[in-house]
Amino acid sequence: MSDARPIPEPDADLEKPVIDVDALSLWYGSAQALRSVSLRVPERRVTALIGPSGCGKSTLLRCINRLNDLVDGVRIEGDIRFRGESVFAPERDVNALRRRIGMVFQRSNPFPKSIYENVVYGSRIHGSLRRSDLDGVAERSLRRAGLWDEVKDRLHESALSLSGGQQQRLCIARAVAIEPEVVLLDEPCSALDPIATARIEELMQELKESYTLVVVTHNMQQAARASDYTAFLYLGELIEFGETGQVFVNPKERATEDYISGRFG
Amino acid sequence: MVLSLAGIIVFLVAEILPLFVPGRVVPDARIEARARTEARARIDAIGSMTAVVVDPRRTHVATLREDGTLRVLDWTNGSTVLERELLAGGAALVAPLAGSPGVAGIAADGRAVIAGIDWRVSYPDGIAEVTPAVASVMALEVETRGAAPRALSARLDPGGATLVVALDDGSLSLVQVAVDVNDFTGEREETVSATRISTPAPLDHLALAPEDAEVFASASDGRIFWWEVEDGTPVGMRQARSEAPVTALEPLIGGRALLAGRSDGVVDVWFALSRGRAGRELVHVRRFDGPGGAIGHLAGSPRGRSFLAAGAGGSLGLYHSTAHRELWTGHTGSAISALAWAPKANAAAIASARGLERLRVDAPHPEAGLASYFSRVWYEGHPEPEFIWQSTGGSDEFEPKLSLVPLVTGTLKGTIYAMLLAIPLGVLGALYTSQFMAPSLQRVVKPTVELMASLPSVVLGFLAGLWLAPRLEAVLPGMLLLLPSLPVAVLLAGAAWRALPARWTLRFQGGEILFQAVAISGVVWLCVRASPAIEAALFGGSFATWLHATTGLEYDQRNAIVAGIAMGFAVIPIIFAISEDAVSNVPRSLSAASLALGATPWQTMVRVVLPAASPGIFAAVMIGFGRAIGETMIVLMATGNTPLLDWSPFNGFRTLSANIAVEIPEAPHGGTLYRTLFVSATLLFALTFAINGAAELVRERLRRRFSGA
Ligand SMILES: Nc1ncnc2c1ncn2[C@@H]1O[C@H](COP(=O)(O)OP(=O)(O)O)[C@@H](O)[C@H]1O
Ligand SMILES: [Mg+2]
Repeated sequence: MSDARPIPEPDADLEKPVIDVDALSLWYGSAQALRSVSLRVPERRVTALIGPSGCGKSTLLRCINRLNDLVDGVRIEGDIRFRGESVFAPERDVNALRRRIGMVFQRSNPFPKSIYENVVYGSRIHGSLRRSDLDGVAERSLRRAGLWDEVKDRLHESALSLSGGQQQRLCIARAVAIEPEVVLLDEPCSALDPIATARIEELMQELKESYTLVVVTHNMQQAARASDYTAFLYLGELIEFGETGQVFVNPKERATEDYISGRFG
Repeated sequence: MVLSLAGIIVFLVAEILPLFVPGRVVPDARIEARARTEARARIDAIGSMTAVVVDPRRTHVATLREDGTLRVLDWTNGSTVLERELLAGGAALVAPLAGSPGVAGIAADGRAVIAGIDWRVSYPDGIAEVTPAVASVMALEVETRGAAPRALSARLDPGGATLVVALDDGSLSLVQVAVDVNDFTGEREETVSATRISTPAPLDHLALAPEDAEVFASASDGRIFWWEVEDGTPVGMRQARSEAPVTALEPLIGGRALLAGRSDGVVDVWFALSRGRAGRELVHVRRFDGPGGAIGHLAGSPRGRSFLAAGAGGSLGLYHSTAHRELWTGHTGSAISALAWAPKANAAAIASARGLERLRVDAPHPEAGLASYFSRVWYEGHPEPEFIWQSTGGSDEFEPKLSLVPLVTGTLKGTIYAMLLAIPLGVLGALYTSQFMAPSLQRVVKPTVELMASLPSVVLGFLAGLWLAPRLEAVLPGMLLLLPSLPVAVLLAGAAWRALPARWTLRFQGGEILFQAVAISGVVWLCVRASPAIEAALFGGSFATWLHATTGLEYDQRNAIVAGIAMGFAVIPIIFAISEDAVSNVPRSLSAASLALGATPWQTMVRVVLPAASPGIFAAVMIGFGRAIGETMIVLMATGNTPLLDWSPFNGFRTLSANIAVEIPEAPHGGTLYRTLFVSATLLFALTFAINGAAELVRERLRRRFSGA
């Protein structure tokens, strides 16, 4: 937990923002999913996005690494800057961007390949690493995802033979294997049992030593336990964004309080 | 479904099975020989020397024996219906005529006779009745100079007759009779010409080919000789040596093959090969083990390449030369002294000490057999064993060639050329459509391609044969140029794309493929436009002539390329539709995971989508393969249907299915060809079944591998 650290005021720019969402609005066809959302994601912290289903959390996340490009008929206003540069700029190399901003999906989606091949997939795509380097990448990433001890003897078995929790950690290992700067996690634990969930939360704490994490969650306890900052979205609007302790203990907005205390959602 | 499949299999097997039933020779009439002293003697005892002739209706049998008298007997009661003395004082040698009903004989003093028999058929009360008559008798003199005749063979020719006699002084006499009938007076005038040559050894056996001017002979030392007759003289002797002394000699129908029975019981087949003027040669082709004991008599079927061989002690065998098949062997009871086929090859007569016996020969499909279908067969007149399909020819003497190998090859050839086009286009089209194409365009493309599938193959075949074939011929050099230039163009276009400012290329992903398409069309257009110039510059104005002159390959306008394109078009929609399904069914989450790791759409497709979709794509290819293998109409119309055995893209081919379509209308129901076509149908069925089965297995394995289940 981050209680020991002095509580920064996010708007005061005390911490260096990695991602700067600036008045972002998004429409799927004619339906508006995000309404002028602005927030700054500080470096090497866990930022949680909470809010009821359909409020636009995943949409916001997918804007950051431009995965929404895959969706037909999306229109965007406003901007997102990653380390000061717009991610929507026409000359932006999307692939390079995604390399620096990894993502873990709500439902674990390992490739139907071996555990090893899953982890080194990104390295194979991006560079001409030698075999021994790949082995190093695999071990390092799996260790970081806390999976190494469980799979080190079966690296060449199918990833699909792992349990749900292991698969999700494999996806995390796969994402961190290419050394991104940011990892986006979209409800990474929603399909997992409490033990696996606890394992992933622990992992997030370890990972934030090296990465900036943005995690979407439905689970209030999880947000409260595992994040440093929390953003509350509601109907496509950012209602409140602040240090997690503050948002949960002393929300500024009525809607936030209602949601956190389980009055709706 | 299973029931109908079983039904089809049962039907096919029922049609095919008779082909592999060998044959039977069954006695069905006999005329007993009695001692001369017996009062109610039926016929005289039959000595060692007899010539036997049977009529087409198998009602009568004619014999010429030592006594020089021709007798025609009725099989039903053994009564003599005709008797005519041909050689007063008895014959030294007798022989049935080669190729037509009749007998020949020669007396020890050289008087010889050739008699044709006419089996006149009348229909009193609507029932056929045969009245035998002696049609023509030609008496000749052979100059013997005191030497005794050792072998005799004779034949009736359209305007006369030919007779050859070997004498024990080592000479061979050939006598030809030309008969001129004066149109006004009806007077017959016979011109006789005789020549005499000396031979390297005294000859034991002589055989005139039934039609051609060939004389075959054998000597006791095992040598076999072959002469051509030119201007009444045997010339151009060729010889070969048999492994054992020859005890019987008989040409097969057509006169290109010679049977030689040996003292060790083997029957050899020799071919009289003519490789040009100087290249005449007797070649040993195959051997049969014979029915047992030294071969005494041989008789070639008047209807095909079957023959009967009589061994020692009454053993008898029925064989087929081309198919190299022993159809039947058995014993007739007592030593055979003469052997003759009935003209329709459905019966034979044998003479022995016990009398005359008629045998029913029941071998409806002697030329069939696995060896005929799948092995190289040495056909008459060919320089070496080959795989040939040529089921029917102009005359009775035609040797059917029933190798299914050129048809199987043709089937695979057509299929492979079709798949060469269909797999890349179908699969890449499906990948592009589902991975890169805008959804709005997808909604147009998919139904259009599926509509292509409903295009009747007869239309495709028609277009290919009549529209595409001549146009392709016109631009063929350009098409050939396309083969090397297309990959170069693709590579160059790829490089050019990467060289473009990132500002442009990054704006739309997948644009590279569109760019490639433009480059490819450009190259195709260039090659087509440049084609006439290339043809003029490199191939002297005509590619086909050049091809033939330099490589010996024929250029067929309706060739494998044309058929491959047409069949490819028939198969593309199938491969496209199934592949597209397979690719679309790859979970979006997988490609999203790949993209989120910074992979390009292309990398995502190659490394994630393609492997995951591979079982489905494989199934698509296999189903397309199955469709191409059975395709009939396109092949029928877009190729020359030549059953050639080669892989050249410039000539046509004939597939199993097209062969059935081409030949079944002309195959007599229940005949060998008819049943052989069913064999090819079964083969096609088995081929499709095997491919689908293998496909299912591989697909299952791929699926397990790529889904991890
Ligand atoms: N691909 C899409 N096409 C159209 N509408 C979408 C799409 N994805 C999400 N939406 C809509 O956008 C809104 C926000 O969705 P989402 O971001 O998935 O919410 P959350 O992740 O917070 O549950 C919802 O109303 C949803 O229906
Ligand atoms: Mg969501």
